[in-house]
Amino acid sequence: MPLAYSLPSNLSPATVTNTSSLLRIIALSLISGAAIASRLFAVINFESIIHEFDPWFNYRATRVLAEKGFYEFWNWFDPTAWYPLGRVVGGTIYPGLMATSGVIYNVLHALHLPVDIRNICVLLAPGFSALTAWSTYMFTKEMKDESAGLLAAAFIGIAPGYISRSVAGSYDNEAIAIFLLMFTFYCWIKALKTGSAFFGTLTALFYFYMVAAWGGYAFITNMIPLHALALVLMGRFSSRLYVAYSSWYAIGTLASMQVPFVGFQPVRTSEHMAALGVFGLLQIVAFAELVRAHVSSKQFQSILYGSVIAIAVLGALAFGGLTYKGWIAPWTGRFYSLWDTGYAKKYIPIIASVSEHQPTAWPSFFMDLQFLIFLFPAGVVLCFRELRDEHVFVIIYAVVASYFAGVMVRLMLTLTPVVCVAAAVAFSSLLDTYLDPAEPAVSEAAALSAEADIAADSPASTSAAGTGAAASGTSKKAKKAASADSSSSGFGSGLAAAFSNKSDKSRGIFGLDTRSLVIANALGMLLFFVLHCTYVTQHIIDDFREAYYWLRQNTPKDAVVMSWWDYGYQIAGMADRPTLVDNNTWNNTHIATVGKAMSSSEEVAYPILRKHDVDYVLVIFGGLIGYSGDDINKFLWMVRIAQGVWPDEIQEPNYFTQKGEYRIDDAAPPAMKNSLMYKMSYYRFADLFGGNQAIDRVRGQQVPKTGPTLDHLEEAFTSENWIVRIYQVKKEDPLGRDLKSANAFEQGKKRKKSKPLVRRKAVV
Amino acid sequence: MTIFHRQRSQGMRFLRGLLLPLVALAGFAFARSSTGDSVLVLLDPSLDRDNFSIFFGDLEKQGYKLTFRSPKEAEPQIIKDDVAQFAHVIVFAPDTKSYAADITPQSLVSLLNKNTNLLLALSTKQTPITSLAAEFSLILPPPGTPLISHFPERDTPATIIPVEPPRAQSLVSSNLAPIWFSGVPQALGNNPMLVPFLKAPPQSFASDGDSDSGSDALVEAAEKGGEGLWAGSQLSLVTGFQTLKNARATWVGGIDMFTDEFFNKEVSKGKQSGNRQFARDVTAWTFQESNVLRIDTVEHHRVNETLPRETYTINDRVTYTAYISKFNPELDLWEPYSNIKDMQLEFTMLDPHIRTALPPVPGEPGKYSVTFRVPDRHGVFKFVVDYKRKGSTYLESTTVVPVVPPRHDEYPRFLSAAWPYYAGAISTSAAFVIFVALWLGGDEREPKKGKGAKAE
Amino acid sequence: MPATKTAPPAKQTVSHAQSHPLLSLWNAYYESTSTRLKTIDAFLVFLVLSGVIQFLYCILVSNFPFNAFLAGCVGQFVLAASLRAQVNPANRSEFKEVSPERAFADFALGSIVLHFFVYNFLG
Repeated sequence: MPLAYSLPSNLSPATVTNTSSLLRIIALSLISGAAIASRLFAVINFESIIHEFDPWFNYRATRVLAEKGFYEFWNWFDPTAWYPLGRVVGGTIYPGLMATSGVIYNVLHALHLPVDIRNICVLLAPGFSALTAWSTYMFTKEMKDESAGLLAAAFIGIAPGYISRSVAGSYDNEAIAIFLLMFTFYCWIKALKTGSAFFGTLTALFYFYMVAAWGGYAFITNMIPLHALALVLMGRFSSRLYVAYSSWYAIGTLASMQVPFVGFQPVRTSEHMAALGVFGLLQIVAFAELVRAHVSSKQFQSILYGSVIAIAVLGALAFGGLTYKGWIAPWTGRFYSLWDTGYAKKYIPIIASVSEHQPTAWPSFFMDLQFLIFLFPAGVVLCFRELRDEHVFVIIYAVVASYFAGVMVRLMLTLTPVVCVAAAVAFSSLLDTYLDPAEPAVSEAAALSAEADIAADSPASTSAAGTGAAASGTSKKAKKAASADSSSSGFGSGLAAAFSNKSDKSRGIFGLDTRSLVIANALGMLLFFVLHCTYVTQHIIDDFREAYYWLRQNTPKDAVVMSWWDYGYQIAGMADRPTLVDNNTWNNTHIATVGKAMSSSEEVAYPILRKHDVDYVLVIFGGLIGYSGDDINKFLWMVRIAQGVWPDEIQEPNYFTQKGEYRIDDAAPPAMKNSLMYKMSYYRFADLFGGNQAIDRVRGQQVPKTGPTLDHLEEAFTSENWIVRIYQVKKEDPLGRDLKSANAFEQGKKRKKSKPLVRRKAVV
Repeated sequence: MTIFHRQRSQGMRFLRGLLLPLVALAGFAFARSSTGDSVLVLLDPSLDRDNFSIFFGDLEKQGYKLTFRSPKEAEPQIIKDDVAQFAHVIVFAPDTKSYAADITPQSLVSLLNKNTNLLLALSTKQTPITSLAAEFSLILPPPGTPLISHFPERDTPATIIPVEPPRAQSLVSSNLAPIWFSGVPQALGNNPMLVPFLKAPPQSFASDGDSDSGSDALVEAAEKGGEGLWAGSQLSLVTGFQTLKNARATWVGGIDMFTDEFFNKEVSKGKQSGNRQFARDVTAWTFQESNVLRIDTVEHHRVNETLPRETYTINDRVTYTAYISKFNPELDLWEPYSNIKDMQLEFTMLDPHIRTALPPVPGEPGKYSVTFRVPDRHGVFKFVVDYKRKGSTYLESTTVVPVVPPRHDEYPRFLSAAWPYYAGAISTSAAFVIFVALWLGGDEREPKKGKGAKAE
Repeated sequence: MPATKTAPPAKQTVSHAQSHPLLSLWNAYYESTSTRLKTIDAFLVFLVLSGVIQFLYCILVSNFPFNAFLAGCVGQFVLAASLRAQVNPANRSEFKEVSPERAFADFALGSIVLHFFVYNFLG
């Protein structure tokens, strides 16, 4: 067979193996290093600090764990959250993340390395991203080979969709969950391939870890049964499947029930029923197989199949009945919202209000995954070509995850790994094809006209190609000789060749210029990908910290701060003050109460504030510098959520103008203008412009010159850019007046003369 | 909002009956305020200090240090560097229209917020003080309309009225002679903090004193059911006001009732007026000598324990104890006080989950205690004592305590009903061990039947 | 589909072939199964019986300590069944990488993990 370039022939196979494994190790460690380094920008540029909202809570919880030990953490009741309801933290969180940090902390301290718990929290996500890269490598290796694995590891290491969730300081469940997800899947594939109960147990253990770490474990809970079911339906039932699935399910389910937050859900809720059903099905099928192995009678077999189907039907009926009787909880609202994107908006605005729960915008697919998203379908198609059990898994994973990622921004994260894997498979197939020195026989190649044309007029210049893909690509310069169409279609034809490369060795690529062109092209894309990935903007506005620091320094330790729930964790973490609601949105009514207070007039809101012992109210206002994520823009959600609980008192249409516009200027409707949120946002805002027309830079509207007045609250603090405004709730007037007239008195306004009260009606 | 009860407690009446006659008899008895001795008297220059010699003399005998100042003088300031300079302020300037810069209605209210007590005199003229009265839910008649009563028949003008002191009123000494009054009445708003000391006689009304021409207006108003009419026993002449912060302000309808003339004026032959003793009672209340209570400490702990816990577990039995003292002006000290019978304790999270009586503990003066079961509900609860009765200091105490669910090791374990499951689990483990033993023990390989069969 | 070739021994017992199918099933099983597998099967039968008893108790008497019921023996059963599948010589072709010894080690490991969780759950 002719070769496009010569290979050194004097190397012993052992040397090749050793070198390649050495290179693999080096490559993997470089990838890990890159994955970690690319996530440390924030720490290097700014400082070691926790970002965002949820991480603040996780950090606070971890501190409790590190300071007071595991049992105290387990029983932790946080009286400062959800004031005055409090929060049973131990039973309402996934403790995996904190436990991981706690273990690391304790190990380091046992080794006499006094590392601050905060640094562990900050650096945990980058650390685990390296592990993710490794587990993706292992997973992809099972799909194709080591080189695809390396590519996948590199992809996931720097995919923006994953980086954004795992930069240093973003100390969130997802940080370790993606590693666990990939590793559990790897163990599952391994268990399925080998039929080993050991790997099944390992799957179960990592599944347990995953359950303890992230609510998204339900993804695994349904992916694996789906895969098993697909295999059974494809007639691929085997004892290996039985062993892998049974050992995973039996141990994994039992283990998952140890997590207090999960409890009996695995046997009680519909989300987990698929796994149970498939488990039952597998038992029946296995039994049938066993019996069939011993009896050959055809009739008997048909009876057997009949009974299997009957049992399955019975099982489904029983499931329905149990759901009906309330033994099994029906699908939760969050689950419905996955099927009907409008559902949440209608029935559970609290879920729909979370920006992460919005349907994904198409550009964000590109932003998060860049060119991987184009390679992704190719990779899936390649999986179809081989269609071993594990490929079925990737296909199902790809389909399911793409759907979910389209429904919810947040689930983009579960899509990222499979995109990386599929893209790596596709890309490595491409490289395989184009780096394979073997050239097809000319006569047979004529069939492939396009490739042949290109190949024909290119002289086969040979030069030593490096072992690594990168080396070969960069050392080569693309030859001009290649025709114009080849450059445009080069990539596509490369893929086409990749599809066909296994089937027939007679197909292939001639010459070196084609190869180098395509490879250069591909590497260029890789390069762009890397550039794209390093384009991470980190813009921290210091107003938040300024304000939280003010709260910490200037208010009593038990001063209750009310804000919209988005800022609850931050206030608890940075300001260390009790909050009414926070990002753990477990109590809709309580959130609706805050929503009602924010969207009602002062007179209505004041008793609510007093009843909840609110001392300070915090609002985020972006109108001055144009920070669009402020409370006025979230305000309609507050109204909607409040309306869900008090439909008689709060009505969304009242907050729009007659024409249905959302306005804050002179045309704003009275309900809007009187609402606490509006008043707190625009209080004294117009004064800032010194008589000129005040403009809200977010809404782009003119703010009325005479701003709102406040009687029941007084401004306590406004940050430099006016982003955070804090108001103090006045106490009841010592003279028993309503605060409005008390305020009028303080300002020296004359009170209207009143007359003695009527004691009795005249008898006529 | 707590409901104010008019009803006085038996015990207080008893105590009062014991103490006040003592004060009355021994006019020189040395009594002190619970908040301080310094008194600023804002006395209008038009009023002669000597006309009030008995009133001021009595105050000084009580141990008060009086400082006199004209309303228009700048010194001494009532508030300096945001600190109130006097414990009590008497504003005897009913006709003064303009004050020095530091005395405004607003600054007087802020004095109250700094726990300074006020005694303010009104007149029929429109002054800054009359406009301030409206802030205290006092509704004054239009300017120039003093209280008039033609009954009982007497030789004084219709505007100088002998008023029968209240009978069932623990704040004023019992068996007082009628009190001479001349000034404006106040209709009372719906404010529970008002404490009327002296009500107008039923036959009296506010009217233009010179011509007595208001009678037409009276008839007219009577036809409208009394709307807009200042008349009758609902009017108050001397009104106390206790703010939420327990500072006290007393509004007096006319300053004449504190003059030596009224003090010595006979109401009937040989019977001196009750003005002097009434003035003493009013100042004693206003300057926080009488009816001053406080909660010294509160304690809470689990039954059979003594120290408070940081948190309680649901369904714990908890004992709450409050120690209450009353100020004794005779001895200038706080004494344990056990005579509150109707105090309540609430255990509140948003709403009271438990509301129970907090009775005095017999045999232990000043101690009030109750034991109750914490509700089956976790959250941040508050022990709330909120005892507000007209005339005496409001007792308020809030203690925040989180109530937590049981710890992981506080649930019942190893239930008897579950023994078959335990047996099942143990037997499974035992069988597993036996099985492993069999497996490892029976290591000599069977002739590989299966393999042989497979090899076909 | 693999693992269907254990039939020949059953065919040899012609005399029983016409009798009751369950009987023939029993015979086929009895003759074609090694002692080891029988040990496993005995274990399985024990687990099934134990499970049935517990299930009946749960339905008839009380399911109050729900967790204790769940901690029952289903897990052990499937693990043992897995072991059976792995060591069954008929399935050799499927489990190329799993020798019987390895299978047993896996089984023991899985069981120990399982029992760990079971007792954790009981307490």
